[in-house]
Amino acid sequence: MQRVAIIGAGTMGRTHCNAYLNIPDAQIVAVCDLDRSKAEGLAVRHGAAVFTSYEEMMSAAEFDILDICLPTYLHCKYALDAMEHGLHVFCEKPIALTEEDALKMIEKAEECNVRFTVGHVLRFFPSYSNAAELCREGRVGVPRLIRTTRNQAFPGWSWQNWYADYEKSGGPFVDLVIHDIDWIIHNFGEVERVYASSFNGKAERQEHGIAILRLKNGTICHVEGSWAYPKGSVFRMTYEIAGTDGDIEYDSVKDAPVWIQSSEDGQYRSDFLNPMSGPVEPYMLELKSFINAVEEGREPLISGQEALSALRVSLAALESSRTGCAVTV
Amino acid sequence: MKEIRIGVISFEHMHALSYTTELGKIEGVQLAGIADSDEYRGTKMASRFGTKYYNDYHDLLTEGLDGVIICTNNSMHCQVSCDALDSGCHVLVEKPFAICKEDAEKMLNHAKANGKRIMNAFPMRFNPNVIEAKKAVDEGRIGTILSITGINHGKIPSGWFIDKKLSGGGGVMDHTVHLADLIRWFTGSEFSSVYCESGDLLHNRNIDDTGLVMAHMENGAFVTIDCSWAHHRNYPIWPQVDMEIIGTKGTIELKAFAQVNHVTDQKNSIIEDLCWNEDGDAGLIREFADVIRTGREPNASGLDGARALEVAEAAYRSSKSHRQEQVIHVEA
Repeated sequence: MQRVAIIGAGTMGRTHCNAYLNIPDAQIVAVCDLDRSKAEGLAVRHGAAVFTSYEEMMSAAEFDILDICLPTYLHCKYALDAMEHGLHVFCEKPIALTEEDALKMIEKAEECNVRFTVGHVLRFFPSYSNAAELCREGRVGVPRLIRTTRNQAFPGWSWQNWYADYEKSGGPFVDLVIHDIDWIIHNFGEVERVYASSFNGKAERQEHGIAILRLKNGTICHVEGSWAYPKGSVFRMTYEIAGTDGDIEYDSVKDAPVWIQSSEDGQYRSDFLNPMSGPVEPYMLELKSFINAVEEGREPLISGQEALSALRVSLAALESSRTGCAVTV
Repeated sequence: MKEIRIGVISFEHMHALSYTTELGKIEGVQLAGIADSDEYRGTKMASRFGTKYYNDYHDLLTEGLDGVIICTNNSMHCQVSCDALDSGCHVLVEKPFAICKEDAEKMLNHAKANGKRIMNAFPMRFNPNVIEAKKAVDEGRIGTILSITGINHGKIPSGWFIDKKLSGGGGVMDHTVHLADLIRWFTGSEFSSVYCESGDLLHNRNIDDTGLVMAHMENGAFVTIDCSWAHHRNYPIWPQVDMEIIGTKGTIELKAFAQVNHVTDQKNSIIEDLCWNEDGDAGLIREFADVIRTGREPNASGLDGARALEVAEAAYRSSKSHRQEQVIHVEA
């Protein structure tokens, strides 16, 4: 049994808490957030202790794993400290905002002999893992052209609006597109060259980034992430993999099995639902995978190095979008 | 209304079939003849459309035509267009306008010198769904355009299309121009710089069949064009022209060929999506007939064709240099 403390009781903290309910080998013993009511809201279902200070939690609670669900710019600081205290660390993606911070985290985990992973959850989404599996089986021949999109309205829900501050979130390349970049690197190959464009803060409360990747094996990719959709629009992710013998396409809206339309107080609402519960729930799968690695004393499925590889490509995209030059990774 | 006489030069590009069919539907237009250096193909088409066959297009051009539609292979566009313009015809030439900037300039100059119109076959400007999206943009429904993502996938063509000498290039030449034209038309801005990754990646036919283009417009918008012949032979539909348009006040997702019936045919083991709306060819040919009648500047002019070609040329330069390339503009 692994005892887990969660720091950050926002959207991701809540998502993780729900997922742990279905992991018998883990128990949430503490939840920490500056906002006590948020922490309490999550802690109550787990019988976990509530803290509003990390230091207080570290001295008062006993646990094995720190699960970091904080804004990106805070990842490094808390990961390093937890590792120094001998804790295993599950960190939400992206690993950090800079290569230097990411390297510090990777090295610290080695130095302290603790397990460390980053939440590249897309690998555990059943549609994405199935498509990758189909490619490995050779159903499309050799994958050669990959298109991914991850589009939504500007994130207006975040604590102190930290998403809007690209110094803290990295913007869509580092926060959003990194999901698809990790999936591409892991399943289709390492990136050689990146060229990208983005609004880079020019449009008010709208951000939109597209990167063209050339993989070392020659495959080309079009990866798109948007925070430029109108307020209230549905989150949507798609991919297309064209190979030498075939093609795979997926669209979370077009292929949604449940479409709900309703009117609440005269406001029209439309929701596309893709139920992924029970044994295929991706957040449960990624956390369980880490818990198992810790229990069995082996390397987690997603290493810090892999998270760093994805970050490097995201940062290359960011740089390219600013300079107009292709960046060799 | 005075009857106008239009000839068709070559069925090398299969669009000639649909263009010639559309000609027959326009009142006051006479199909004056079909020229094709391939005698078998040319006589077959002349019989089908009940018109006279010419082996040498020069002979057709002596028949006092008002206009010609040119569907030769791409490398011939320049010579045939210039000859037709010199003979006093208005010209509609298949896309891409030409295979290089120099040819394009020559064609524009011949049109000017002869006081004739040259039009490039961009049927997507006449596709009803594209027109609807353009109208929404013009009405300001999504504010100012900040970005466009375009996809023009299709199946790999055969024959001269995959012979660089005759086609000028593969997917990057064949498919970049449609979206480059629509993007110019929608944004009202010119292409400034172009980046491209492309290659012979999918079909092993020794020609670029896969390509991703990213470009910046003079007004600051950035756009992408996927010009890949990405589909295999049993893909349920041939044409795909999609645009995701991001504006300051909203977005548009356009799928120009979404109006289909999904057909499953057990007998022939075919699953197919068949379009039931006009694709744009009819509007294109009506436009050409009207340009001949009125002498006005066409929607989808030769200059529009040349501007789209500039983007494809820059994309090829970038594919080699792996750098962002400035677009070299044809002189207007």
